[in-house]
Amino acid sequence: MSVITDTWYITMRDLRARIRMPVFIFMTLFQPILWLVLFTQIFKSLGGMLGPGGGSYLQFFAPGVLVMTVLFGSAFSGFGMLWDIDTGVLSKMLATPVTRISVIAGRIVATVVVLLIQALIIIILALIMGVHFETGVPGVLFTFFLLALLGLGFAAFSNGLALLLKRQETVMAVTNLLTMPLMFLSSLMMPAALLPGWLNKVRLVNPIDYAVVGARDLISNGYIWHDLWLCFVVLAALAVAGVAFGTLMFRARAE
Amino acid sequence: MNAIETHQLTKVFPGDIRAVDGIDFEVKDGEIFAFLGPNGAGKTTTIKMLNTLIPPTSGTATVVGLDVVKNAIEVRKQIGYAAQDVGVDEHATGKENLTLYGHFYRLDGKTIKERVKEIFDLVGLTGSENRMVSTYSGGMRKRLDLAMGLIHQPRVMFLDEPTTGLDPQTRASIWEYIRKLVKTRGMTIFLTTHYMEEADRLADRIAIIDLGKIIALGTADELKRSIGGDVVTVTPCEDNDEKCKEFVSRSEAALAGKPFITGTKATDHELAVYVNDGASAIPSIMHLLSGQGIEVKTISMSRPSLDDVFLKYTGKTIRAEEGSRTTFAQLVRMRDRRQR
Repeated sequence: MSVITDTWYITMRDLRARIRMPVFIFMTLFQPILWLVLFTQIFKSLGGMLGPGGGSYLQFFAPGVLVMTVLFGSAFSGFGMLWDIDTGVLSKMLATPVTRISVIAGRIVATVVVLLIQALIIIILALIMGVHFETGVPGVLFTFFLLALLGLGFAAFSNGLALLLKRQETVMAVTNLLTMPLMFLSSLMMPAALLPGWLNKVRLVNPIDYAVVGARDLISNGYIWHDLWLCFVVLAALAVAGVAFGTLMFRARAE
Repeated sequence: MNAIETHQLTKVFPGDIRAVDGIDFEVKDGEIFAFLGPNGAGKTTTIKMLNTLIPPTSGTATVVGLDVVKNAIEVRKQIGYAAQDVGVDEHATGKENLTLYGHFYRLDGKTIKERVKEIFDLVGLTGSENRMVSTYSGGMRKRLDLAMGLIHQPRVMFLDEPTTGLDPQTRASIWEYIRKLVKTRGMTIFLTTHYMEEADRLADRIAIIDLGKIIALGTADELKRSIGGDVVTVTPCEDNDEKCKEFVSRSEAALAGKPFITGTKATDHELAVYVNDGASAIPSIMHLLSGQGIEVKTISMSRPSLDDVFLKYTGKTIRAEEGSRTTFAQLVRMRDRRQR
């Protein structure tokens, strides 16, 4: 199956390139640490407002950091594609018999792999800082699965956006315009009970919120299946839609 | 069988831009064939249709007998491509770049290993295989770029402006590699260029292309002979201004219809006069022009070059069309003149 081998080679190319950039490794490791430590310090006193049972803001926010990391990591995946377009790497590849779809699939898979490594770092760090994982290892794996769907959807969407808009500046502007509200219009930083009414309605159409709710259930509350089931459906739909959009844009460009 | 054949090949871009406008040509097996023309003539668009990157709007093309639209995948297996932009991966070594392309062309690991060694040798990069491409010079990148299109031993190699932006020494070495490929591999080469010299020295046959149309096709000698005799270049003025233009057109009028002249072509500050015998024509030209009160600043004679061929068929010089670098040079010159 050449589509699988081609995807593998392109994934490895992408990962290899990232590993060789010291700045990239530093950012990958440092960013989640920064967010986890910094945000939990800033909002420390919110711990008491988290409702009955209390709990720490760290316990509340750790799933949010996971989602944030995946959101920002995947939303910028398309910049690699832009680089390949601008430097002529993409054209040259497409003049070979390489399976077309592998060229975009490899990049997306590489993005998701890196994001899951970041997620693992966050979880280890959270454990050290004293976060309690209600559902244990199986729950963490389930969280990874939900995060992978989220990353897949956004990475594919970002690549599609890059192929559609073609210019660094425009893609950057649109990406920022989308990611920031997605993060804030959810219960990522603030419990739903403390959000204003309108925001609680808006967050119902925000896929990020589903990822946050799912991850928070698994880490802090346990298997709340009616939540988790909905999270899975929404994130799977997001992944399918993202991949469809990315593939469509790629086909328009490549064929 | 011909390596490449096109029939009424056409590409129209949105906005009704006819980048390639119904061209017909054949490239023979084992031939170096050059598309010569200024920027924007339709050279790159033609190459991208032939190597399956963009579909033609109408017309057909075959590469090694395969239709570029219907058999695109088969065509890709038979061709190599080096674009004007070097499409190499900065964050990988030369060997990794080449190996990746070996996989893309479905070669097995053992073959890839052998070919990598052989091709690095061919393009003179042996010893740099394991260095990161980011440390390569421009010439080395170009050679790696060529190598990546060679690993599967293609039958036809497409080279889009292979030496644009390279220094003269590197350019000469790239020419040498291209010749070597044809000689040792029996490969067919289709290249585009806006350098007269490149087409003249490298290509077996040349198609001159302008505004999406082939306006002349033949060997360099045939094209030059089509002008016939010698070219006498007359400069009737010093500055490149409106007054100069007027002198040029007055000169052209003064020489019109004389039996010893086969044709004339005016540019902004020069007049090219095509004659059978330059040596005997020069005194007559001088006489005719001074009779009209036109003072000739310089006059020179040369065998026709491809530049003259281009000028004759299009009415402009390729150099004048060369784009931003010339424009910048002109700006500098204008500024210098003003400061004086």
